[in-house]
Formats: sequence, C-alpha cells, structure tokens
Amino acid sequence: MRSPIRIVFEQRSETPKHLSVLVPLLSVVAALVVGALFLLATGYSPLETYSNMLSDGFTSSRGITDTLGLSTVLICTGISAAFAFQMNLYNIGGEGQLYLGMIGGAWAGLALGNQLPTFVMIPVVLLVGALAGASWILLPAFVRSRLGTSEIVTTLLLTYIAASLVKHFVYSPGSFFVTKNSAFPQGRLVPDSASLSGIGDTSLYPTFFLVILIALVLFWVVKKTEYGYRIQVISDSPRAAHYAGINANRTTMSVMLISGALSGLGGAVLIIGPFGRLDPGIILLGYGYAGIVIAALARNNFSAIIVSGILFAGLRSGGDKLQISTDTPIHIGVMLQGAILLFALGGEAFRRYHIHAVRTERATQ
Amino acid sequence: MNGNIWVLASADSVAIATTLILAALGALFTERAGVLNLGIEGILLTSAISSFLAADSSGSIWLGLIVGSLVGALLAGIHAVLSVVLRANQIVAGLALVIFGTGLANFLGKPAEGKTVTTIIKPLSFGPLSDIPLVGPIVFRQDPITYASVVIAIVSSLYLFRSRPGLELRATGDDPATVDAQGLSVASIRIRYTLFGGLLVGLGGSWLMLAQSAAWHQAATTNGVGWIALALVVFAGWRPMRLIFGAILFGFTLQLPFTLQAEQITFIPSALMQMLPYLATLIALIALSRPSTRNKLGAPKSLGIPFVRDER
Repeated sequence: MRSPIRIVFEQRSETPKHLSVLVPLLSVVAALVVGALFLLATGYSPLETYSNMLSDGFTSSRGITDTLGLSTVLICTGISAAFAFQMNLYNIGGEGQLYLGMIGGAWAGLALGNQLPTFVMIPVVLLVGALAGASWILLPAFVRSRLGTSEIVTTLLLTYIAASLVKHFVYSPGSFFVTKNSAFPQGRLVPDSASLSGIGDTSLYPTFFLVILIALVLFWVVKKTEYGYRIQVISDSPRAAHYAGINANRTTMSVMLISGALSGLGGAVLIIGPFGRLDPGIILLGYGYAGIVIAALARNNFSAIIVSGILFAGLRSGGDKLQISTDTPIHIGVMLQGAILLFALGGEAFRRYHIHAVRTERATQ
Repeated sequence: MNGNIWVLASADSVAIATTLILAALGALFTERAGVLNLGIEGILLTSAISSFLAADSSGSIWLGLIVGSLVGALLAGIHAVLSVVLRANQIVAGLALVIFGTGLANFLGKPAEGKTVTTIIKPLSFGPLSDIPLVGPIVFRQDPITYASVVIAIVSSLYLFRSRPGLELRATGDDPATVDAQGLSVASIRIRYTLFGGLLVGLGGSWLMLAQSAAWHQAATTNGVGWIALALVVFAGWRPMRLIFGAILFGFTLQLPFTLQAEQITFIPSALMQMLPYLATLIALIALSRPSTRNKLGAPKSLGIPFVRDER
C-alpha cells in the first residue's frame, strides 16, 4: 500500500525571532533571483544591472542623498497604507490621495505663497496637502463606516478619478495651476516661500526628518496610547470591541482619514521639493502603490517602514537612473517590488506555521 | 446630432464589453470558489503584452490568444499557491500580483513600444444581416471572440446553476466545510477555478490587445478595466447572465468619452469626461455593496476566507 505524503500546517504558538528578519530578507533575495532569470532571458546581464542599481542607490554620496530624498515620499505612503492595514482597512488608493496632496499643496503655494513668509507657508502647504488627501478618502471612509461598503475597490477607483483631475488641472486651457502663455502646458512653480532647497544642494530635503518624526510618533501612538489600543482591539476582535463599548465606526472613520492625510502629505512634500509644481509625471511614478509594498514588507510596523522605505527608495532611485545610463527598462524595479511582496507573503506562511510533510497511512478499503 | 455615431457607440459598447465579460467571468469563477483575486488588472496587462509578443513573432493571432490566456492562468496560479496553499492574506496577495504584473508587463513590453499588431481580430460579416439599420452594426458586426464571450457567459450560467460540478463550486464558496465532509478536496477545487478564472481573464486581456488596442500603451492599455470588472461581479450579483448586461452598461461608459470627443461635444472638459467609467462604477458599487445587499445579491459566504479543516 502506497502511503501518501501530506503537508501539515501546524500553527506556531510563538514565532521564532530569527524568522521575522529572515523571511523579508530571503524574499528580497528570491525576488532578485527571479528578476535575474527575466533579465537573462531578455539578454541583459543581471549582475551588471543589479550592481548599477544598488551602487547608485546606496554607495555614492549623491546616490545616498537621492535615496533618502526619494524615501521621504515613500515613507509617507508606506505609513499611510500601514495605518489603515493594521486595522484590516485596505486603503489601496494612497496613489490617488497622493495626487490630491500634490494638487492641494500646489494650490496653497500658488494662492498664498506671495503673502506669507516661508516659516508659515511650509506648514500651510503640508497641511493643505494632508487635508486634500484626507478629503479623497472621505467618501470611501463614510460608506465603509456607515454602510459597511468594502473600501478596497472604492479607494482604488478614486485613484483613476484623481489622475484625470491632475490631467485636467494641467492640460485645460487657462488653468490656475499652469504657466500662462507657455508653449506647452506645464505646472506653474510655487513661489520661493512655499518651497525649500535641498540640504547642501542635494535632493534630500528637510521634510525627510519631519516624515521620520511622524513615523516614530505613529509608532508610539499605536503602541502606547489608548487610541492605538482601541485600533488593536478592533482589528483583533470586532466583537470584543463592541462589548467593550468601543465605537468601531468612529475609529474606522478616523483611521481612514488619517491614512488619507498621510498619503496627501506625501504629495505636498513633493511640492516643497523637488517638484515645486503640479506635475502630471507623478501619475507614472507609482509612489502610492509602492507604499503598499513597503508597509506589507515591514508588516505594518512604523519603525520598520523607515527601513523598508529607504531600501525601496534605493532600488527605485537606482532603477530610475538605469533608464538613462543603460538600456535596461526602469520597469524591472516595479517588477522586483511585486516579486518581493509575493515572496514575503509566501514566506509569511513559514513564519506563522510549522510546515512539515508527514507520511499518512491510508486505511485500506 | 448625427444619429449614426450613436449607433456606432452602442456597437462599441458591446465590443468593449468583451474584455469586461471575460475578466469579470474569470473573477466570478474564482470568487464562487471562495477565493478573492484582486490581481485581475495585473493579469490583464501581462496577458495583453504576452499576446502581442506571441502574435507579433509568430504572425498568428490565434497563437497570441492562446499564449495570452495561458499566461493569465499562470499568474492566477501564483495567487492560488499563495492564498489556497499557503493561506496568505488574499487582499495583499492580489495587490502584489497587480504590482508584479504591471512591472512585468512593462518590462516585457519594451520591444513592443511604438509597434502595432500587423493583423487584428476582425469583425465578422453576416452579409445582409450586418446591413440592417441599428441592429446590424450592434449585433451582426462583432468579432468572433465577442460572440464567444457571450456564449461562454451563457454556458457558465448553465454550468453554475444546472450542473453537479457547478453546485460543488458554489458550495465551495459558501460552505467549504460541507464540501470537505462530502470527501471532496476544497483546496483542489479552489486551485482549479482560480486557474480557470485566470485563463478567462487572460483571454480578455489578449482580446483587448489584439482586437481593440492593437498597440502597447503600457499601463494605459488596460487603464483600470480589471478593477471595473471586479466591481461588475458585485453589480451582477455573482451571476453570469446579469454580467452580460452589466458589461454592456459599463462598456457604454468606457467608450462614451471617446464618442463625445468625436462628436465635439465639449461642454465637459475631456480629462473630466475620462472619469466617467470610474465614477459610474463607484456609484454602482456604493449602491450595491452594503453587506446586507451583497448577501441578498448572492455573495459567496466564505469569500476570501482560507479553509482550514477543523481537526478536533
């Protein structure tokens, strides 16, 4: 009698510490291997491509400041995604909220920039951007908390609508956001009072430190405050939360609005530097979608997001340069992001379960 | 106003509905088995470019359709392994598939940039039938895959509601424990239908490429059709027949911006006009997807929940 092999998933009571580090790390390695296979198949040298990518992003001093500069917006969208994901609210429209933040920030800069000094304008631009981002999730948050309508597809559809809005504001004749009498439609630069210059003439802006600070504050809010505790209880057991008298609807609403505001902040950060204007090019960059990967890889831990955000920025800024320096398409970077996330998700099973094969004796009939 | 263009617009709505029907049917089969695959947009895009490359290098449209469909099943296979075998979070797995698929499609699409498919899938002609005013262009001047998609939807409906395996499929999405108790493998049923769903989505993506788009425009090739298809499944109450009508309705909103532009109706700026399909989908979703309405519509009760046999 043949004894078939059965794969058994045994729930771990405690996750070994080393797996929490090993799984994300191996995910990155596995994704790089898959990427290498595709590169080989299409006639590129994986070693050359990767070393270009990584050395640009992480070794040269210009590369490092580029990486940290880019990580500013990615950490924003990362904490935005994580803040909602931790309560099982899947705001996947961070991309659209980011566009709105950019529109809001550019509007504030253009409308008020000439009247107010820099130290007032910077907070105003960031605040208006965050509010604009929050406004873009208001409808999904409202119908989710009141009617229970899933937020997944609604937030995503609003991203496409936001993209049309950006195009409208840049390409419609006589728009407030564009330069008058310019040969081709282009966003108008905000006044100097509404933008900062990079530290030491690099592409690293002071907003980087603000965003790090916000991530750390959120880390503290989630771990130490009553609000964070409420989020924890609701995500663990909505029923228990209900009996404990926690108003889940209100928490849902506030968590989603904060998540939207954080993506909006990411858009406003780009107005302060390096973009300085509403730029339709943002639609092709996918910073909002990257936030989902960054959050998932950091398993919604806000301090880990700083690390994964910088790591991804390194991959991205190297990838962006690849486009210019070699023939390799930039898209290998996005593909690697997706592959890393896929492997991390698969690896999650090994973290949660003790998986082993057993031989089972099948009863004879 | 020129009446003719509106007839053509209606004909276009039926044509564009092809991708929506196939992609939404793929999602429907997957969800009926209890698996939520949000990766439709990524699968559509990757199968679209695969079909382009296959058709371009072989000169055969049919080979393009086959390769595109198989690539769709392959990507859905990743989702099946993650969500059924490894019990990963299905929502994040689907999103990962969208990101991976988008990157992969753009990576593979580099040689296709600026090229067009040399021969596209052409509409059939039914002689005098095709010349009947109104009905002719709408019903009798479509291409074979468009007719096939409607036939597939009808057959799917019969399969789901009138056959034994269809019953088992629906039961797997509603109450997997009972299916398991019957001695059937929940995992194998879920994997099979996730793969089959991917195959249909892949066919939809290939058709979009080889009949509609004919050129590679990166992510704009699909432009969110995959997400609209997911909403369409809810709109249709997880029923294939209703899906046909929903697809034509959403197809209408998808082509309307272009028709209005062609008619030079410009009281709404064109960039804002392009919001229309997403706005319509959003409104339909909000109106229909309250949990109580969803249940009444017929949402699979174990959708998105991994099955773990209770072995106490």
